[in-house]
Amino acid sequence: MGRNLRLENLTKKFGNLVAVDHIDLEIEEGEFICFLGPSGCGKTTVLRMITGFETVTEGKIIFDGKVINDLIPQKREFGIVFQSYALFPNMTVEENVAFGLKVRKMSKNAIAERVDQMLDLIGLRDWRDLYPAQLSGGQQQRVALVRALAPNPQVLLLDEPLSALDAKIRVRLRAEVKRLQQELRKTMIYVTHDQEEALSIADRVVVMERGQFRQVGRPIDIYKFPASSFVADFVGTSNFFKGLRKEDRIRTEKWEFKVSQSASFSGAEVFLAIRPEKVEVFKQGEPPGHLESSNLISGRIDVVTFLGAAVRLVINMDGEEVISDVIEKEFEQRQLRQGERVFLYFPPEAFILYPAQEGS
Amino acid sequence: MNRTDVLKDYSTPSTLLSDRMLTGIVMGFLLAVMTFFMLYPVYDICRLSFFKEGVLSLENYADYFTNARIFRSLTNSLYVAFVTTVITTVMAFFFAYGLTRTTIPGKGIFYTISTFPLIAPSIIQGLALILLFGRNGLVTRYVLQTDWNIYGATGIIVAECLYCFPNALFILYTTLSAVDTRLDEAAQSLGASALKTFYKVTLPAAKYGIASAAALVFNLTITDFGVPVVIGGNYSVLATEIYQQVIGMQRFDLGATISVILLIPSVGAFLLNYYLTKKSYALISGQARPFLQPSRTFKKWAFSIYCWIPCLFILIVFVSVFLGSFVKTWPYDFSLTLKHYNFPSLGGHAPLWTNFWASVLKGEWQSIIAYKYAPIWNSLWVSVLVAIGGASLTLLAGYIVEKKRPKGEQVLYTLSVLPAAIPGTVMGLGYILAFNKPYYFFYGTFWIIIINIIICNFTLGTLSSIANLKQIDKSIEEAAVSLGANPVTTFTRVVFPLTKTAFFSNMAFFFMRAMTTISAVIFLISAKVKLAAIEIIFLDIDGRTASANAMCTIIIFLVVGMLLAMRLITGKAGLKGMGGS
Repeated sequence: MGRNLRLENLTKKFGNLVAVDHIDLEIEEGEFICFLGPSGCGKTTVLRMITGFETVTEGKIIFDGKVINDLIPQKREFGIVFQSYALFPNMTVEENVAFGLKVRKMSKNAIAERVDQMLDLIGLRDWRDLYPAQLSGGQQQRVALVRALAPNPQVLLLDEPLSALDAKIRVRLRAEVKRLQQELRKTMIYVTHDQEEALSIADRVVVMERGQFRQVGRPIDIYKFPASSFVADFVGTSNFFKGLRKEDRIRTEKWEFKVSQSASFSGAEVFLAIRPEKVEVFKQGEPPGHLESSNLISGRIDVVTFLGAAVRLVINMDGEEVISDVIEKEFEQRQLRQGERVFLYFPPEAFILYPAQEGS
Repeated sequence: MNRTDVLKDYSTPSTLLSDRMLTGIVMGFLLAVMTFFMLYPVYDICRLSFFKEGVLSLENYADYFTNARIFRSLTNSLYVAFVTTVITTVMAFFFAYGLTRTTIPGKGIFYTISTFPLIAPSIIQGLALILLFGRNGLVTRYVLQTDWNIYGATGIIVAECLYCFPNALFILYTTLSAVDTRLDEAAQSLGASALKTFYKVTLPAAKYGIASAAALVFNLTITDFGVPVVIGGNYSVLATEIYQQVIGMQRFDLGATISVILLIPSVGAFLLNYYLTKKSYALISGQARPFLQPSRTFKKWAFSIYCWIPCLFILIVFVSVFLGSFVKTWPYDFSLTLKHYNFPSLGGHAPLWTNFWASVLKGEWQSIIAYKYAPIWNSLWVSVLVAIGGASLTLLAGYIVEKKRPKGEQVLYTLSVLPAAIPGTVMGLGYILAFNKPYYFFYGTFWIIIINIIICNFTLGTLSSIANLKQIDKSIEEAAVSLGANPVTTFTRVVFPLTKTAFFSNMAFFFMRAMTTISAVIFLISAKVKLAAIEIIFLDIDGRTASANAMCTIIIFLVVGMLLAMRLITGKAGLKGMGGS
């Protein structure tokens, strides 16, 4: 077994506010794990407890078999990358990267060698004599990344590292972080509120809400099989219907849908969730006859938004708004336009069922 | 390159003391210093004023309020402070308005000249007024040929107005530059006249700033000692009355009683100023200021002329004292001479530099530079130590309060901010009462003066340290810690370099205060321990007005020299935001 990081019953309270509520997690050595959740869900607090900047109210943080709750941050040997980069403005790129090595009293030659290695990792060797203020945000964050990696930390913690950057650079840097992680096989814990970022980068994603874990799993599983309506809503986009279940049929206020997935819970009141890309759109008179007729409903296209490869349609279905993502080619072929009357088709196998009374 | 060789193992960083322990030790030290050198002396004053022969009694207060002559010092003080406050606040407000809301030319010059009073002892205003309007004043005797002179309340008020002007200006300038001018523009676009806009928009938006400036001026005036002692004549105020009772009559109990009475308005004004400043900052919007509309020609002329008035007054003060030190017999014989710089034998204890000069120089120069200039060398020596000690201690206090926030941080903050509320004369008397005991080895030496000046000016030093540390992102320190740096390394390698500029300007502030302060220190000097700023008073009392001017001029040149040196070192660091108290 490698040097795993384990959170046991971990809890943090600020006065009466429970920021982190009895969570358990085992992170394996070399794993890339992402904490995902809306702001204020407690994900950063978990990270800060792991770093040692926040005290633990209850529970344990165990690293490599030892409880490290009371270990000061310096002794934990965890590298941190901050949202605000937090480069030392009074030091050059080189001095920044060398800082963690100097405080370890390494020899000059060893430091120089290590700094070279680190700058090569991000291709910033030519920038070594510049000050942080002379670099772009993306470059600064790359320097911050290797500065944290230079002392060879046991675990690298990244607190919303890309949130302050432009969309384009964010995507590029995301790939770079992923590449570094795969090359170095370093345990990384990455906190973000951006679900796309989390899904694209992590080995495992932890979805948090109100201090609790809502789902832990591989990105593909989280997206395809959200464990709750919160996850279905927060990770990606979902359409929801509330209804009463009767065998394989769900009766909502206005419609009755057929579903093919059998729910794993009892209780008649349910939420029906369906991803926008699963909702099909046909022009009137177009739909092939073999479709399940109860799941075919008419509506009117209210809003058309281009997302690039796909087109998002907001469709008014008898007063209720439904979102459907259609690939751009299909959108052109079918000549879907705003204001047009259309048929929506909800494939029975695309529905996911959740109990209506969830533990919020 | 093989990436795996990057993954060598490194030793764990070492940490001698835990962060919390270190913070605790430093905070304990600062709390002890503030308690012993600030609270204890003030406590001793209160104790002395409320006890008579070991029994709790109000006899001292009865004495005070029944002795008409002494009692008058209270009403005098209040009167002088009130009038000064009104005049200075109004003058400074329109000055600040001209600098921030109009497009008059020469704003930089106006601003620079208006800061001049900060680099000299407050006494300079008094000296200049005597030169111009005194018994042998240039204006009174020569131009108007009148027997009227400025001694008394008028003199005090005029001098205090000049002295307090830059302090009020800083607050009002900050307030007016922070309030969004777009509000004014919006009001005018809605059809409000310029005057109406001023009354309905500009003035209300600046009200806390105005009130806070007024409270500061009130506090500065009622606690000042230098001005009333030279120009007050028989007009006695609380600050001078304390000195009179203690040094003149040896009535320590009455001095203590007057001190307690003086504490009430001064602490009140301080608290008001503090509270209003917070309110005022809450109103400041972080919005960038849009381009200032060019002012109309009339407005431009009016404000240009207006701004020259206080500037001319200030310039006249400095020029008169400067000239007064170089002419033979003001105002009869204006031929130039250096004889006033040959001070009467001031003697005094001979520290480091005096000995140094004595060994280097020969003959007459030895006596002038080494011995007659002893108070100047003393002042320099004291000021350098005050600068280093004051800037360091206030940085530490600010760091603990702003960044470490341990338990009891509020206590440290309160104690650090409190000294500005306590008048210098009160603090000086408190030091005599508290420390004039054989076992306090530092009493009667330079060390007690150094400590006293640091403590008296702790407030501004701490506040400016805090303001500066606020600008350092919390994660920068956390980054250093997570990379394995111990608390000391984090402070010396990361925090300190980032506050260096503020540290140097704090040093400049403490140096300036040490060179120019009078009120507290006058109780702590002795025949052996003399300081330049205090010598001005003694020279003046001796009737050697010209030499007093000369001493004042030397102090100004030393302060200016230091400020220029600081500017060379740091690249910037002006006087901005360094109002004394």
